[in-house]
Order: sequence, then C-alpha cells, then structure tokens
Amino acid sequence: MLENGMIIRAGVKRNKGSFLGIGILLLLAALSLTAVLMTVLAGNSYIRDEMERAGFGDLTAWASDVPDIAFLMESIREQEGVEEAEAQRLIFSEYEANGVESDSQGQMIPWTLSGSRYRFFQNNLSGYREAPEEIGEQEVYVSPSMKSMMDLEPGDTVIFPIARGGRTISLTVTGYYEDPFMGSSMIGMKGFLISEKTYEEIGSVIEETGMDALAREGFMIHIQAEDGITVSEVNRILVENTPLSMCTEFIHSADTMAGFMGILQNAFSAILAAFALALFGVAMAVMGHSISGLVEQEWKNLGILKTMGYTGGRLTGLLTIQYGAAMGGGVILGMLLAVPAAGLISKVMVTTTGVLIPVRFPILPCVWVFAILLLVPVSFCILRLRNIKRIAPMAAIRGESDTVSASETKFFRNGIRSGGLSFHLALRQVLTGRRRYMGACLVAVFLVFFASLAGRMNGWLGEDGKGMMDAFHPADLDLGVQVLGELGAEEMEQMVLSYTDITDRYLLAMSSVSVNGTNYTANVITEPERFHISRGQTSMEADQVVLTEALASDLGADVGDFVTIRGNKGSGEFMVSGIYHCANDMGANLGMSREGYLSIGEDDSRLWCYHYFLADPSQKQAITQALEQTWGGDVHVHENSWPGLSGIISAMHMLIFFLYGVSAAFICVVTGMAGTKILDAEQKDMGIYKSIGCSVRMLRFSFAFRFGIVAAVGAVIGTLAAMGFTDPVVSTVMRLAGISNFASGNTPGSVLLPGSMVIHLFFGFAWLLSGRIRREDMNVLTAET
Amino acid sequence: MADTILQGEKITRVFRQGKAEAKVLDGIDIKIYEKDFTVIMGPSGAGKSTLLYSLSGMDQINGGHVLYRGREISSLSEKQMARLRAEEFGFVFQQTHLVSNLTLLENVLVAGYVGKKDSAEKIRERAKNLLQQMDVEEAKDRLPAQVSGGEAQRAAIARAMIGRPGLLFADEPTGALNQANTREVLGLLTDLNREGQSILMVTHDLRAASRGNRILYLEDGKICDELSLEPYNEMEEKQREREVSQWLSGLRW
Repeated sequence: MLENGMIIRAGVKRNKGSFLGIGILLLLAALSLTAVLMTVLAGNSYIRDEMERAGFGDLTAWASDVPDIAFLMESIREQEGVEEAEAQRLIFSEYEANGVESDSQGQMIPWTLSGSRYRFFQNNLSGYREAPEEIGEQEVYVSPSMKSMMDLEPGDTVIFPIARGGRTISLTVTGYYEDPFMGSSMIGMKGFLISEKTYEEIGSVIEETGMDALAREGFMIHIQAEDGITVSEVNRILVENTPLSMCTEFIHSADTMAGFMGILQNAFSAILAAFALALFGVAMAVMGHSISGLVEQEWKNLGILKTMGYTGGRLTGLLTIQYGAAMGGGVILGMLLAVPAAGLISKVMVTTTGVLIPVRFPILPCVWVFAILLLVPVSFCILRLRNIKRIAPMAAIRGESDTVSASETKFFRNGIRSGGLSFHLALRQVLTGRRRYMGACLVAVFLVFFASLAGRMNGWLGEDGKGMMDAFHPADLDLGVQVLGELGAEEMEQMVLSYTDITDRYLLAMSSVSVNGTNYTANVITEPERFHISRGQTSMEADQVVLTEALASDLGADVGDFVTIRGNKGSGEFMVSGIYHCANDMGANLGMSREGYLSIGEDDSRLWCYHYFLADPSQKQAITQALEQTWGGDVHVHENSWPGLSGIISAMHMLIFFLYGVSAAFICVVTGMAGTKILDAEQKDMGIYKSIGCSVRMLRFSFAFRFGIVAAVGAVIGTLAAMGFTDPVVSTVMRLAGISNFASGNTPGSVLLPGSMVIHLFFGFAWLLSGRIRREDMNVLTAET
Repeated sequence: MADTILQGEKITRVFRQGKAEAKVLDGIDIKIYEKDFTVIMGPSGAGKSTLLYSLSGMDQINGGHVLYRGREISSLSEKQMARLRAEEFGFVFQQTHLVSNLTLLENVLVAGYVGKKDSAEKIRERAKNLLQQMDVEEAKDRLPAQVSGGEAQRAAIARAMIGRPGLLFADEPTGALNQANTREVLGLLTDLNREGQSILMVTHDLRAASRGNRILYLEDGKICDELSLEPYNEMEEKQREREVSQWLSGLRW
C-alpha cells in the first residue's frame, strides 16, 4: 500500500499540469451543467409554487365590462369541476415611461398589506425586503422586467392615460415586486401595484368621464379546477354555461402562464445545457489525448515498474486513481461553484424573467449529474489505459514505443519555404505530430459550432430584434395604427401621408374566439394572403382558417380538417386550409379572413388596426410622435417592435458573452495542457532552432501558428457543422416557444466571427504559453557541463 | 600571427542548485584565431562544453566578456545573438541534433533560410552541394531517424556550414560515432579547415584532437596548457598522435 501511495504521489507531481487541466475542464463542464440544471428546475418549480401560493388558480380569465361581478362569480362557482373562483380587481390602462409607450395594456392592481400575494424586492434587486406598510397615493411598484423593457428604476415616473382630455395619472416607481404570473419580459401585459386610494380615484375618473374613459375597470378571475378534470374541460364548461366568455378579454391556464414565464430561461437553458454537454464531450476527447500522451511519456517508467512486479491491471488502477482524483476534484468543485453561479444567473436574469429564482441544490438530479460526470470519464479512462497491459518491460525500457512512422510522415509532408518560414515549420509540426493537436482541434470544432449557433441566432434576432418580431407578427408591416374614440381613419391617414406615401395597407384585428371549446386569439386580416404560411394554403375563403403548428398540435388537427370556432355572435365549422407561423401566445393562435370572422363575431371599428407599408420607413418615429401628440389616447401606434424584445436581446447578448467566456477558459486550459506537453517534448528542438539562429520571436510565432492552424481546421469544420445543424437544432428549441419560422441569420459576422475568435484565442494563448521558449536552456544540447 | 576571431576575457560560469554552487569556469582568458583548428581537451567534467557554449553565446556567463571579431557579444540582446548565430556561427553537436521531422535537406535549408545570406534558390543549390560534398546526397530526402549516425552527423556539418560561418563550433562531434564514421567526420572537418574555415572543437578523443593545429587543455575551470602543431597532414598522423599523447601524459591526462 505504501508503495502505491508513493507511485501515485510521484505521478501526480510529475503530471500535475495534465491533471490540473483535466480537473479544470470537468470543473467547467460540471459548473455549466449543474448551474443550468439548478436554474431550470428551481425556476420552473418556483414559478409554479409562487403561482399556487399567490392563488392564481388553474385557469385565469381577464374580464372587463362585467355588469355584475357577484353574479358572474357565483355562476362560475356553481359549475361542475370548479372548486374555487376568486376575482382580483384591476384597471386596464395604457402606460408610458421614459419616452416609451406600452405595446400592451397594463393592469393596475390595488394592494393592501393584508392578504398580500406579492413579494417585494430590494431596490438593487439582490434579494427580497419586507412588504411596505402601505403603498402611497403617488407610488407604484413594478416588475423588475420593466427595467429591461423600459429602463424603469425607482424614482422614474409612469404615466397612465385615464381619459381623453389629458386626464392622466403619474405615479412614481417606488420599488419592484415579484409577479410570478406576468413578470417575465416575454409577457406584454404588465401588472402595477398601486394603493387602494389611487385605485378608487382612477375608478371615479373612469365613471365620471364615461365614454371618454381610456382606462377601464376589470378583473382577473382565478379559477381552481377540481381534481380529475382537465383545464380545457373546465374552460369548455365555463364558455358554454356562464356569461364569462361575454366579458373575457383573454383566458389562460396556469400551464400556459408558467410556460410564458419560463420560456426565456428554458430556451436559453436548453442551449446552455447542450453547450455544457458538448463541453463534457470535448473534455473527454481532450482527456483521451492526454491519457495517450501520458502513457507514451511514461512508457519506460511503466516498463520499469513491470520489472518490479507490477501488473498491467495494477498500473492501470494506479493511473485511474490519479485521473479519478483530478476528475472527481473538478466535478465536485464545479458542482459546488454552481451554487453561487446559479445565484448569479438568477440575479442577472431577474430583469428579464421578473422573478428571483431561488438557489436550490436539487440533490437527486445532482447526484445523477455527479455520477455521470465521474463514472463516464473514469470508465473512459480505464478503457484508454488498457494499452498498459501490452507493455513488454524490456522493450519499454529500451525505448520501443509508438512513434510517428516514416511513411505516415512522408504522406503528410509539406514543403519548407524561405518565405513564411515560421508558418511552414508550424505546418510541418502539426502534420507530423497531429495526434498531439487532435484535442485542440476537437475543442475548436465544438466551440466554433456553439459560438456560430449563438451568432446565427443573434443574426436571426437582428440588431433591433426584427427576426423575433416577425415571428410574433402574423403578417409584415411598417407601422400599425389603431384609431379609438371619435377619430376617423381618414383623418389619421392624412397625417401619415403628410410624412410619406403609403405603399400598401391592410387591417388586422386580434379577437378572442373559442376553438373546439378552448379560448384562443384569432388574427383576423383583410388580406389573408399576407399570412406567413409554412404549409398548405392561406384562408382565402370565409370558411377557412390557418393554424399555427403549436395550435394544430394541441387540437390534433391538420390541413383539411374541420374545427368549430365560436365568436361573440355565433359559431361555425371552418376548414384548416394551412399552417402559418405567429408566435403570439406561445403560438396558441389562429388566422382567419375578415369575412370568416364576421360570420361568427361582431364588428367594431375599434377592433381594427391599420397596418401600413411606408414609402419611407425611416419616418416611422416622426409619424408615431405626431399621431400621439395630436390625438393622444385616441390613437394607438405600434411599430414592428415590442419592449420585451430588449430583454430577449440582452439575454441573447449575455448568452453569447457567456459562451465566449467559457470558450476562452476552455481554450486556455486545452492550449496549456497540449502546449506544455509539446514544449516539454521539444526542448531539444527549440535548442537546435536557437543554435541555427532562429530568434525566440520566430519560434514563438511558429509555436502559436501551430495552434492557429489547428484551430483554423476546427473552425472550418465547426462553421460548416453550424451551417448544417443550426436550423434543425434551434428550430426544435424555438418550437417550444411557439416560434416556427427560425432560419439562421447569415451575416458575415455570424459566419466568420466565431471561427476567427477561436483561432485568435488559440493563437493568443499559445503565444503566451510559448513565452517559456525564451527561458529554455540550450544546455540541453551539450555533451557535458 | 593570425587575427583573433574570438576572445574570452575572465570568463566565469557558476552553476547553482539550491544553495549548492559549482564554479565550472574560473576566470578563463582565451583567444581563438582565424583559420585555426582549435581543440579544447580536458578530463570529463572539466567544463569543455561549458566553455564552448559560453564562447558561442549559447550559454549565459556569470562574469567576463566574449568578443567576436572585436565586438562584445556577451551582452547582446537575444535577437542580436540569434542574428549572430545565424550569420556567423555554425554548430555541430555530439548527438546530431537534427530536427526529427525535417529531412536532411530541410534541416540544412531551414538553417540557410534563417541566415538569409542568399536568395532561396541559391540557398537550395548550396544545400544540395554541401550534402553532396558531405556524401549524403542520396539520403537528403530521408528523415534523421532513417539514416545512420554518420550520415546524420555529416548532414549536421552541412547544416552548420550552410551560412558560411565565420567560426564553426563542434562539441564532441565524433563522440557518438563508430570508428568509420569518426574518420569520415574528422576528414570533413579537416577539409573544411584547409579551405580556410575556423573551427573550435571540444573533444576527449586523442585522434580527433590531433586534427587541430592548436590544442588547449582545460582542468578545474582553467586553461592549464597549450600545444601548437603544424596544420594536419595525413602522412604525419601517427607522429601527431604520439606528440599529442606525450603532451597529455605530461598533463597527467
């Protein structure tokens, strides 16, 4: 036992660089994987728990213009399958802050300390604070996602237009609260906690202004379903047996809302998890080459140990213990570091997700992660060490080990030229010693692939998030204007025309309908040929509809099938003519023609939004300002943009930043591991080159070129792989969010940048590492001292 | 009297390991002359190779100065030293020390390209001529591992000569060779010297030493004695060896 301990200690001391490198690689893989796992599991369960704690129910309906709330609630509670129902008062209103106008209506929710369902954040969003005794009359609490959406911070003012004639109310942001229901920046509708007194004051303005009121009173009706009945069944019962559908603006299940809340973290986590798994794969590949190198290097020593009576199995065991200790140390440390990392992720993401995901260490999943991250590499290690059994002691002592065969070298020989001598020497080294560089090449392939993937997603998203917005819009537009109140469409159009010509126009309405008994949003359009159709035909006829892939899947319907759609006027049978893409409501929507909708729904001029294509789209901002300044609350203008987009774009940038950060760390470790071994092995060669007059600078360049060449090969493969696989891989993830139109954005940056970055990082780290060439002693060449 | 090509003044070299200290060169004064075939001899561990590498700038010295053609080189920057080695010095080692993944011709070419004294085409031509002169032309496209020790050492001499060096340093160039190869290599060095090449060689081989026209004896970090001979002549080989042997005996070698 004592001798084993000595051999292990000596081995660790001798190869500490390799073991340290492998430990770091597995640390990074374990850290990434565990942090992602913690974030996803804790995030999803926390949102569910909070929704339940706050009493949001299995189904929530947003209702307005409710003639008798007590009657409505009573009729809901009486229904079979409904266990409990509760109405939460609120006021729907547009809002504006920091010069940004809301895209969706906000919901002002009166708040009192008693029976509070919300938690409040400290102003720096680092944790929670005690709930305030009360909310002041001029105060408002907002979701942290408003920080990413509108850059809202404590002290800023939010303006709510309550009625025409400039009846607005301005509230000062006092702090942030956690809204597990609508807090995510992916959800357009936002809650605002206000005082009871402000709520009543607004209520009286609405009552007083009557038809001129822009804000309106409403309710969030939380419905708890009984066990054993599905939410869609409850929804169907309520639509059929209560007046709920008459006053419902939209209705969503808890699952849908939880999906909305978690969509961003889940989508990015899926990519990060894939990245972490790839890191693990890369770590294994690097480890494989490290083991081969170590066995080659220790061949003679292993032979000597065999002459002393050590068996191949025992030597394999001793080396496995050394590798196992490095791997185990890395994995354990990585998993421990995942705890603060998950906390950091939670804090960084709070302005996007709207919730502070708690740091929970999920014991069982983490045990599995630990087992996989340790057992797989250990098994792999044992497999790679099997060659030790074949060592013939005396042959090893004589130095008969694997070397590059002459024929192999000849085949891969390049010419050595005077011009670019450093490069040609580097190329020769790579071609003749390619096994040593295989790990670095694999790392380059994987890292370039993932960085390209992220870059292509970023390219699709576009600088202003156009890709995402196109995914959410059923049809293209430059500017959308909804006229309300007394303002006529002609008058509004004249103002638009005073800035630029309108090249084309169509009308779009977003109405609530029920399909086969479940409520969905219908995108009703005057020109159905504008829908983004991915399969089949658009709904040109009045009895046709188009569904998203997500809805078609939910309904179990396909092109040619019939669905029953009910509006506020009646119902009818519609044929599914095609599949289109629109990610609104996580893809739970349908598209139909105006004629089709009017056969089941009431017409209302306020329903329609005028969508324009402008001769000079750069005038959008000016037109928007002019319309709003002239008609204030009588007009609602929107561009092909959405405040929540900034949250997604910033999250995307964070993801790319993270990918490049981890990639840099990985490249540093791998270059260090491979480079140190190579420099150790080439001490003599470096001395020879120095003796013939090669400067240290030239040798360093040549050394760095080797890694640059290897990285370039990896970058080409990684870029090609990204070109081939990005769309299928990302589309699969995007479909979870209802986005079915993902196609890579092929900007020169997204194609070339990742490879170029990885090549430069490899070159740079190799250059830094090669600094030791300066210190290499040429005495290695001497016959004696 | 020939011009001094290389001069060492009070050269000191100390090796330290922890607190232990070994003074290998102890204030040596030495002059190497143009077109001479100078040999440094001495018992094992006397510091012969250390002196050679100290004089050639391959090793740092702890004290003293080295002047090449009157120019102080012991304080040159790394870049200047590399340039000097590329343009003025040639090295032949005991182990051939050819770059293992370059062919014999490429080993010679790389040294020529680094020196940049001629165009690439001329360097290539000269490399081939040198390999022919060294009688390894047929093996020029082979890797060092695929040729004999003698062939490799002859290629190493070609490499050392590609830049037309002012001074050729040879550290036990026959130490790892068999008798036949030793004669060939010594013959080549002698021929080069006859053509005017200045050579400084370290050896502990009496036969190799007798090729020189000036032999310095190093012991305990100091040059103890010096023997001058006429330029080498094959006809007097045995007599030279006897003379050197007697001189060494006097030094209790």
